[in-house]
Amino acid sequence: MTIHSKSTICPFCGVGCGINLLLDNNTITGVEPQASHPISRGQLCAKGWSTAYGIDTHDRITQPLIRHKQSFKETSWDHALAFIGKKIKDIIANHGADAVGIISSARATNEDNYAAQKLARAVFNTNNVDHCARICHSPTVAGLNMTLGSGAMTNSASDIFAADVIMVIGADPTENHTILGGHIMRAKLQGTTLIVIDPRKTRLAKLADIHLQLKAGSNIELINAMLEEIIEQQWHNKDFIHRRCEGFVSLAAALEGAMATAIKTTGVNGALIHAAAKAYSQASNGMILYGMGITQYVSGTFNVISLSNLALVCGHIGRPGTGINPLRGQNNVQGACDMGCLPNVYPGYQPVDDIANREKFSQAWGCRLSLQKGLTSLGMSTASLQGDFHGLILFGENPVVTDPDQNQVRAALKKLDLLVVAELTMTDTAKLADVILPAASFAEKDGTFTNCERRVQYIQQVVSPPGTAKTDWQWLADIAQQLGSDKLNWKTSEAVFSEMARLTPIYSGMSYQKLKKNHGLQWPCNQQYPQGSAILHREQFATSTGKAELIPVHPVAIDETTDTEYPLTLTTNRLHFHYGCGSMTRKSPLLERETPAGILFINPADADANQIHHLGPVAVRSRRGYIETRAICTEDVPPGLVTMPYHFREAPSNQLTNNAQDPVSKMPELKACAVAVTPLAAGCQPRDSDTLHRSR
Amino acid sequence: MQSYQLETTQTLQYHLADHYQIYQRVDLQNGDSHWQSMESPQPVTPLQKLPISSPKQFFFSERENLFSFDGECFRETVPEPEPFVLFGVQSCDLTAIAYQDQFFAEDPYYQARRKQALLVGFDCLTPCEYGFCHTVNAGPGVNPDCADIILHRQPGGDWLVLVSSLKGKQALRGLNLPAADSQALVGRDQQVKNCIEQFEQDPSLAQGIDQLSNETIDNDFWQQLGLQCLSCSGCTTLCPTCSCYGTRDFVDDTGQHQERFWDSCLYESFQREASQHNPSEEAGARLKRFWTHKFSQQTVKAFGRHGCVGCGRCEQTCPGVVGVHSTMKRIVAYQAESAPC
Amino acid sequence: MLSLTPMPTELVSYYNDSEDTRHFCFRLLDPEAIKKTQPGQFFMLHIPGIGAAPFTFTTPPDSRGVFYALIKSVGKVTRALFNQQAGTTLGVRGPFGTGWPIKTLAGQRILIVAGGCGIAPLVNLTETLLQQNSYQSLALLYGAGSQKTEMLKAQRLRWQQQMPMYTVLEAPGQSELTGTPVDVLDTVLGQLGEFPTALLLCGPEIMMQKMAVKFIDKGLAESSIWLSIERRMHCAVGLCGHCYLHHSYGCADGPTYQWDHYQRLSAGDTDPGLVIPSQI
Repeated sequence: MTIHSKSTICPFCGVGCGINLLLDNNTITGVEPQASHPISRGQLCAKGWSTAYGIDTHDRITQPLIRHKQSFKETSWDHALAFIGKKIKDIIANHGADAVGIISSARATNEDNYAAQKLARAVFNTNNVDHCARICHSPTVAGLNMTLGSGAMTNSASDIFAADVIMVIGADPTENHTILGGHIMRAKLQGTTLIVIDPRKTRLAKLADIHLQLKAGSNIELINAMLEEIIEQQWHNKDFIHRRCEGFVSLAAALEGAMATAIKTTGVNGALIHAAAKAYSQASNGMILYGMGITQYVSGTFNVISLSNLALVCGHIGRPGTGINPLRGQNNVQGACDMGCLPNVYPGYQPVDDIANREKFSQAWGCRLSLQKGLTSLGMSTASLQGDFHGLILFGENPVVTDPDQNQVRAALKKLDLLVVAELTMTDTAKLADVILPAASFAEKDGTFTNCERRVQYIQQVVSPPGTAKTDWQWLADIAQQLGSDKLNWKTSEAVFSEMARLTPIYSGMSYQKLKKNHGLQWPCNQQYPQGSAILHREQFATSTGKAELIPVHPVAIDETTDTEYPLTLTTNRLHFHYGCGSMTRKSPLLERETPAGILFINPADADANQIHHLGPVAVRSRRGYIETRAICTEDVPPGLVTMPYHFREAPSNQLTNNAQDPVSKMPELKACAVAVTPLAAGCQPRDSDTLHRSR
Repeated sequence: MQSYQLETTQTLQYHLADHYQIYQRVDLQNGDSHWQSMESPQPVTPLQKLPISSPKQFFFSERENLFSFDGECFRETVPEPEPFVLFGVQSCDLTAIAYQDQFFAEDPYYQARRKQALLVGFDCLTPCEYGFCHTVNAGPGVNPDCADIILHRQPGGDWLVLVSSLKGKQALRGLNLPAADSQALVGRDQQVKNCIEQFEQDPSLAQGIDQLSNETIDNDFWQQLGLQCLSCSGCTTLCPTCSCYGTRDFVDDTGQHQERFWDSCLYESFQREASQHNPSEEAGARLKRFWTHKFSQQTVKAFGRHGCVGCGRCEQTCPGVVGVHSTMKRIVAYQAESAPC
Repeated sequence: MLSLTPMPTELVSYYNDSEDTRHFCFRLLDPEAIKKTQPGQFFMLHIPGIGAAPFTFTTPPDSRGVFYALIKSVGKVTRALFNQQAGTTLGVRGPFGTGWPIKTLAGQRILIVAGGCGIAPLVNLTETLLQQNSYQSLALLYGAGSQKTEMLKAQRLRWQQQMPMYTVLEAPGQSELTGTPVDVLDTVLGQLGEFPTALLLCGPEIMMQKMAVKFIDKGLAESSIWLSIERRMHCAVGLCGHCYLHHSYGCADGPTYQWDHYQRLSAGDTDPGLVIPSQI
């Protein structure tokens, strides 16, 4: 029995809590929180406490697997890589470089993500690289870029304690960003005013001073009404608007009648909207935190812009305790975006269609680069179904479970000539692959993660990877070599980071050495801000003019409204106990026990009307799919709305969801579609999606 | 109890290292502290911060196999550790080990480890951030019944060594330490008393404990508090006296096994049965049970003390602000509010 | 020292009893492994590689180690059990817990009320009482959902030769009495004639609570009511903590409780969302 403890960062959500992994020789036996960590302060959520189960070696993939008819055979790395190399060469020769692409992972390190986009751009010569930020915060990146010039959380987690009014909209932080949710509860107990805007009675809504329980998809109506009220009551910050914003006059003009519209469409009464408008605008420091209840709509980018308008008009930005703060889903979704795993930007959000940027990267990488924007992940699916896209490398993601309109995703992946998946364990997406590569988990490699407050934190290798599993940037480099390129031949993850930091202005002041001290650094970290930046936009905005843009936005109806055949609106939510597709959290016997494998939350009135019983089996149908699950009757959801978490492969809500997209960011509308819910015979077990699939 | 003088703890550590694997509290650069096995003994530093995890994992393992099945026979898989010493355990955690010694008295896995362990206690001389050991009779001076050897740092930097068990006496054999003079024990008492006086007074602790042990708090209170419990399992994981566990079976190349793992009574599913019947479905009911259990009169009857040793780890680790200090303050405020005028 | 390691046990055979319910016959490979049991005690059944759960003996181990248990398929462990073939080696630990107060029942007018598979812990008791024949009177009120789900038809037919028996089904028109045991209690008491002096309950906890409150209202002493409760269990020896009832562990102090004791304990735990029976 030798016990050691090594510090690293929790691999789950975007909060980025500090954890120590407890080791008995090369086995991780447990987890403890870091009391000294600036965000988590000695705390963890249920997922964090269960980390050791998630990377248990029981069922890990330890050797490359290659498809052999309907099953997989173990093979050597050499053979697997040679096979992949040849296939990619063939595809590029026959269909061009834009017929291949990479979907990287918001779970992987910055180094892995940097390597992925470099492989696509510098070796394949395509900008076809994307990751799951497409389906969480792409509207944030798009919207805040337009208004503020930078698409990230403007402030820091610790600002929660500096605000006197906190407004949480379209987010359920006690479930999804539990430690921040706890901070918000603590701040509320210490006297901060809490406003929650959500169709559901979330835990924070129950504790809030003001809960605006709006109808799903009416965010713009509500925010515009608040804005109209604020301006009408002269509560807006005229000095701030004058000094730092453009476009106030046209915004104010566009808001006329917004309150009257909101009272009709949001389901929230005017007095409550007035109260929220007053509380937020009159705060000394008002802070907005938001989540996917803002972004996952066809109006996603506009929703983000409307929140930006609200913060700007009240001048709540650029100071401690203020700002507009997207809560990012994955541990490294901020980093994956920063690293340029997006089809339109190089690392550090430098547009690919800008000639100067192309020259810069072309020189640095010593190769020709494409000026043409690449395909998004959904674009790759569509192109595959149309026969224009043939080869995909994908790692650390499980789009078959997490992406909208699952049946179409499955069809698109099946149609590919080559699908390479690198994973820890067998997933539904991996099952469709031609080659599966064994990947190292976060505890088995060095690297960095960037959390939602832009804090870049160092993670160290704690145990050796099982079998022949490799770090993602290593096997990505191996593939490059198969294609005759040595551009990814780094010796260490530190070398990857250094190359990236040289080319990425917002990271240019960072090094491993500096990151290891003081729990990381927040970008921008450069010559001007050598110690990083806790708060953005203090003096000026990152736009070309230095001023923020106020942009009028008008309500956009949800794409698929209810009708007699599909009378209920389905929205998706997440649970404290599970993360993403559940591939790690569901390995914990504790977390797995907490909920049935698949649930639908329904208001008791809707349940009664449909003869549905608490925990009884139900069928849920939309225009795109059919699943079976169990009902949980709760007043936490209003009548007319049902919600499902997407963690469970047995009852994947994404069989049902709509893939109608936000025209700006291509974000699918995961937060609203029309469904019908009917009871199944009492006592019968809901059939899981595999069973349903077979019976079809 | 024999008492000796010691110039530096390393003399003792090197002596013990001949016979025992040594575990020590290690202070990290970032200020955190935790238990770690030592290749060679390190100088002992005064306690700045309580180790994040208590040493309960050394006896009641976070995860361990209970038995294996080969298709015909079940084989008990009791661990066989080499002798080891926990060097420098503070009083609260030692009190918790004594508590768990009673609770797990008949548990073969716990006892297999426990009988191999030598406990060297450290008197705390300054209060730690969330600690209130003196309020629950668990420190800051080490109770001789809870350790084999007690170390006490004297004002001049020397150490007073107290031998409080036969195991402790045997462990010191061959070391030939000079005996301490009679004033040393008086000095120890005085230093411990000084430490107690430095603790911040929190009258809500005693009042809250009183209310809990008399079970006078109504369900509305617990329901309100329950809204803040996120069922993260942090308090029960770090609590040095919490002992609930779950089991699961798994299969690997060597056969079928049952494993037990730390569980938490604050999970909604802790009591849920296969039929979905759940006697403690509400978070408030679970919190009530957790706190009442820690401070109930029945616990005192069964174990001779409360189930809380005043380490305060739950306060620090609770994201929902319902750790021990927060809960006690809320109880006192609630009772004051709802008391008849 | 305790042992948490099961004893190898053969699944000998089974027959279907009612919907999703089977009567299993097991055999301890070492007949000495379990010596003496009391009616109402239970054992832990381990399906290697799957898990374990508590069940009661309907017939306790005989000299060859053969015993029986009535088991309904509800969760993971029972579903796996139903997939096992006769001849498979499983694991058993026990006996555990406190049984029914057999001695106290001598000379009493006993009414047994069972709901659904709650009849299982009362089977061995009924057989023992019938055999000892030391009671003043003995009757059984059994409630179930429908004819499909009512259990132990054959046994109950046999008992009916020796004692009054009332069956109540929730499905309308399937039996003389319709509803739950609580619904038909007054009718049954009317037919019984003499008011019972001892009440033994096992079934859904809410049914037992309602029934006990009704009897107390009618004047039965709280200390003359016993009930057997169900709880999730892992260790069955008072360590794992899952089966708590306030300060008590169902596996050791229970599963059989005297009503007044149970009532005090559950008042201490009361789920804020649940109305406690005495307030109904």
